[in-house]
Amino acid sequence: MNRAFPVFAIVFAVVYVVVYTLAVWKNYALFTYHPAIYEWGFGVQKPKDGPAMYWYGWLATSVIVALVAGLLASLVPAARRLWPGLAWLAPLGAILFFAWLLRGYFLR
Amino acid sequence: MTTALLIVHGLLAVALLGAITHQAASVLWPAAKPAGSFSGRFRAVAAPGYANTIVILYVLTAVLGGIIYGEYRVGIRIVLEELHLNMANGSFELKEHFVAVGLGMLPAYWYYWRQPATDAIVARTRAIMTGMLAFIVWWSFLTGHIVNNIRGFGS
Repeated sequence: MNRAFPVFAIVFAVVYVVVYTLAVWKNYALFTYHPAIYEWGFGVQKPKDGPAMYWYGWLATSVIVALVAGLLASLVPAARRLWPGLAWLAPLGAILFFAWLLRGYFLR
Repeated sequence: MTTALLIVHGLLAVALLGAITHQAASVLWPAAKPAGSFSGRFRAVAAPGYANTIVILYVLTAVLGGIIYGEYRVGIRIVLEELHLNMANGSFELKEHFVAVGLGMLPAYWYYWRQPATDAIVARTRAIMTGMLAFIVWWSFLTGHIVNNIRGFGS
């Protein structure tokens, strides 16, 4: 297998989860879905005739940024010394962060 | 249509749950060989052979879940809010984020399961990632099941 792939995979895992966490926290959605009227809109939009969904937009933001970061990092030879544990440590941190962020649902 | 997709989503989730549980048990609680008991045989599977299937099932299940998620947002979440079922609502919110986090782990998970486990770092990395994915899948499965039961099939 290409020696650059592990670098891509580790950087993708870290950048994706960091960007996703920031996207949720600050609402950086690439697009918005309005499920009640089956309508998509670019960027963060206010609800129209029902709730607005940003989850798809957060995913899109995260995947695009992580793909670019992973591909760029895979071109850097020094990145081959990246610690593999980052690929689980960053997601573990995100899981704990979301548990903290949504604690209100379980404490009231 | 949504009901049919929900059933397929559930069936894929069951397959994923079985595969990831087998794999996680085999790396986190290795069986003595030859395994004689039922639990021993459950844990004595050839874990690397599950990785491709788990990645495919995870992506397919997440995509199908994403397709029917809009219906959930309009038809179910609002009901949960009106009934003040905060824990069920919060559990599903967590599911949404946990599944997203798991998607980002898949390339690394897949790569480390294709490497020989002779390297201790590789063995530890894939064991931890498999355990985390198993947690995400179990959380998602149980949450989806409970929320579906609260709202009622076809209601």
